[in-house]
Amino acid sequence: MDAAAGRFTAMASPCEVLVDGADAAELRRVTRVVENEVRRIEQLWSRYRPDNVVHKINTAGGRAVTVDDETAQFLDYAAHLHEWSNGLFDVTSGVLRRAWKFDGSDRVPAQSQVDALLPLVGWGHVSWQSPVLKMPMGMEIDFGGIGKEYAVDRACALARHATSRPVLVNCGGDLACTGPRADGEPWQVGIDTGVPGAATPLVRLSQGGVATSGDANRFLLKDGVRYPHVLDPRNGWPVTGGPRAITVAAQTCTEAGVLSTVALLHGAGAEAFLEDNDADFSLTW
Amino acid sequence: MKDKRRHGNAALRAATLGLLGAAVVPAPASALETPGEQLAKKWEFDTGLLVYSESGGRVQAAEPVLKATRNFGDDRMLSFKLVLDTLTGASPNGATPASTPQTFTGPSGSGSYRANAGEMPLDDSFKDTRVSLSADYLFPVGENGKFGYGLTASKEFDFLSAGANARYSHDFNQGNTTLSAGLSYEADEISAVGGAPVPLALMPAAVSGEVENENEDEDEGGGPGAETKGVVDVIVGLTQVLDPNSLVQFNYSLSTSSGYHTDPYKVLSVVGADGEPLRYVYESRPDARTKHAVFARYKRYLFARDVFDLSYRYMTDDWKVQSSTIDSLYRWNFNSTNYVEPHLRWYQQSAADFYHAALYDGEETRVTEASADPRLGAFSGYTVGLKYGHTMQSGNSWSARLEYYQQTGKREGVPEEAAAGLSKFKLEPDLSAVMFTVGYRFKW
Repeated sequence: MDAAAGRFTAMASPCEVLVDGADAAELRRVTRVVENEVRRIEQLWSRYRPDNVVHKINTAGGRAVTVDDETAQFLDYAAHLHEWSNGLFDVTSGVLRRAWKFDGSDRVPAQSQVDALLPLVGWGHVSWQSPVLKMPMGMEIDFGGIGKEYAVDRACALARHATSRPVLVNCGGDLACTGPRADGEPWQVGIDTGVPGAATPLVRLSQGGVATSGDANRFLLKDGVRYPHVLDPRNGWPVTGGPRAITVAAQTCTEAGVLSTVALLHGAGAEAFLEDNDADFSLTW
Repeated sequence: MKDKRRHGNAALRAATLGLLGAAVVPAPASALETPGEQLAKKWEFDTGLLVYSESGGRVQAAEPVLKATRNFGDDRMLSFKLVLDTLTGASPNGATPASTPQTFTGPSGSGSYRANAGEMPLDDSFKDTRVSLSADYLFPVGENGKFGYGLTASKEFDFLSAGANARYSHDFNQGNTTLSAGLSYEADEISAVGGAPVPLALMPAAVSGEVENENEDEDEGGGPGAETKGVVDVIVGLTQVLDPNSLVQFNYSLSTSSGYHTDPYKVLSVVGADGEPLRYVYESRPDARTKHAVFARYKRYLFARDVFDLSYRYMTDDWKVQSSTIDSLYRWNFNSTNYVEPHLRWYQQSAADFYHAALYDGEETRVTEASADPRLGAFSGYTVGLKYGHTMQSGNSWSARLEYYQQTGKREGVPEEAAAGLSKFKLEPDLSAVMFTVGYRFKW
C-alpha cells in the first residue's frame, strides 16, 4: 500500500492506520483516535497490568467479581463462543501456559504437569451471571485470543466517525477497514503469517476484517513434531497436524479472529471446519 | 482467498454483532476481492446546481456543474469539470438616475432599454450562456512531491478564454509542512457586440429625447475586431500542521494582466451642475492591472467531531482597489452521516482610483480612465449561509446550501460640481442575492 500510515505499537503488535487521501493532520488525528481506543482496550484487558478488571478477576481467589459493562458483554460473547465451538474456544485456557513455554525450544512438558493444570481450565467451572463472575481459586481468564481483534473493530468503528475518508486499521495482521478505498478499489494487504518461506497471502479487502492465527514464531519443536502455541483446552495439549497459519476474512475482524483461532484448534480438520462455516479463508501449511 | 461469496456462520455472526454493535459493520457484501473481481466504481462524480437570484429582477443565474474524478490510487488523480452558466436579468450600466426617464441603446445598436425617472438604469439586454471546461491531472513526484497541471477553456457569446496551469507542492518535516507554488496563464478574447467602443466616446443615445447628438459617426469608433487580454498568476503557499487537530495555511499571490480590461457595455453619465445627465460616455479602464494578495487560514478539528475554518484575505492592486475578506465555516458533524455547516463571510473593498459615480460636463475630455461600474466602487457585503449534508448507506452523498448575500455601496467618486444636484439620487446600487446549491456525489 502506498498511502502514508500512522503507526504505533500496542498489544505487543505494530499497528498502522491508513486513511486514504488524508493529509498529515487528518492522518494524525485519525491515528490518535485509533491508538487511544486500542490502548484503552489493552489497558482494560491486559493480563500484565495490576490495575485492571482482568487482574481483579485473576486474583479474586474464588471470590465473586462484578465487572464493567464492556467486560460483561465480552464474557457473554466468550460464553457463547465456548458453546458454539464445543469447548475449543475457552478464555480460561491461559493457565496452561504455565506448563507450555512456546519459545522455539524442545521443552515439551510432561503429561503430569499438564494434568495438574487441567482442573483449572474450563469455562464450565465458571459461574457467570452477568455482571458477576465467580471462578474457583487458581483459575484465570485471558482475553488475548480475540481481544486484539475486538480492539481493531472498535477502533475502526471510531475511525469511521472521525473521518469521512476510507480507513484501514492493522494491528499485527489483524485488520479491519471502513470500506473500499477512495477510488473504489479494495485495500491490498500482504499478510505476514510468520511462516518462513511460505507465500504471503495477499488480501484484497473492501469491507470488514481479516485475522490470522498461526504458530508464527511461538512453537515448540520436539522429535520433528511442531507444537503450535494454540492449546486445546480440553486436554491441555497443542493441536498438531494443522496448517501453520490460517487467514480468515469476515464481516468483522473479531469474527475472523474467532474463525481462524477455532479452525487452528481443529488441527488437520481446520479446512473442513472453515468450509462447514462457509468461511472465506486462506491456509498456509 | 478461496471464495468471495461466502456468508459465514450466522450464529457466530449474530453473536459477534451483538458484541460489537451495529455501528461497526457496514452493509453485508463480499469481504474479499480477488484481482479479477475489482470493483468497477472508478469514477467519482460531483454534480451540482447553483441557482443565483438577485433581488429586484436583476441577475438570475442557473449553473449546473459536473465534475468527474478518477482516483488511480498512488495519489494520482485525473479530473474533468464542466460548468454551464445561464445568465439573465439586468445589471447597472453605470449611468446615474435622472429626474426624467432615460433610454439607452443596446450593445448592438438595435435594441434599447429604459430607466424610469429616479431609477438606477439597468441594462436588461444581456442574456448569456457560458460553457466552461477544465481538465486536471495530479501525480506524485518522488517521495514527498506532487505535481499538477491543468487546462481550462471557457466560451460565452462574446468571450473566449483558454488557460493552462501548473503547480507543485512538497512535503517536509514528515508531511507536517507543505510548500507549494503554482503558475497559470489565461488568454481572453472579448468580441464586444457591435465592436468594442472607443473609450470615453459618446454613447449613441438620446437622453429623454431632449438632446440630439450627432453621434452616428461615433459608431465607427468600435470595430468588429476582438480585443484580447492575458493574465498571469503566480502563487506560493505554506501549510503547517500545528498539532494533530489544527493547521495554518499562508498564501501569497501575484496576478498581472495586460490588454483589454474595459467592460464594453458600461457607460458613465456626464452630468451638469443640476445632476441631470447631458450625455453618456463609454467607460475606459487601464490596459494593465497588477494585484497582490495574501491569504491566511486556520483550520481546527474540534471535539473529535467538528471542523472550524477561519480565513482572511487581503488584496491590493495598482488600480488602488483594496479588499479584505473574512470567511468562517463551522462543520458540525452531528452524527456519522449528517452534518450542518453554518457559513459567515464578510467583504469590504475600496474604490478604484478611476471610479466615478458620474463625470461632470467636460470632465470626460480631461480624464483618460473612468468607470462607474459598481464592482469597482467602494462597498461592503456579507454572506450568511447554511449547508446540510447527508451521506447515504451506499456511500453516495448529497448536500443543500442556502446563502444570502447583502451588499451595501458607499457613496464615492461624485463630481464636486454636481454633488448638490446628484444628492437627490441614490448612486450606489445596493444588492441582495439568494443562492441555493444542491449537490450529489456518487461513484460509478
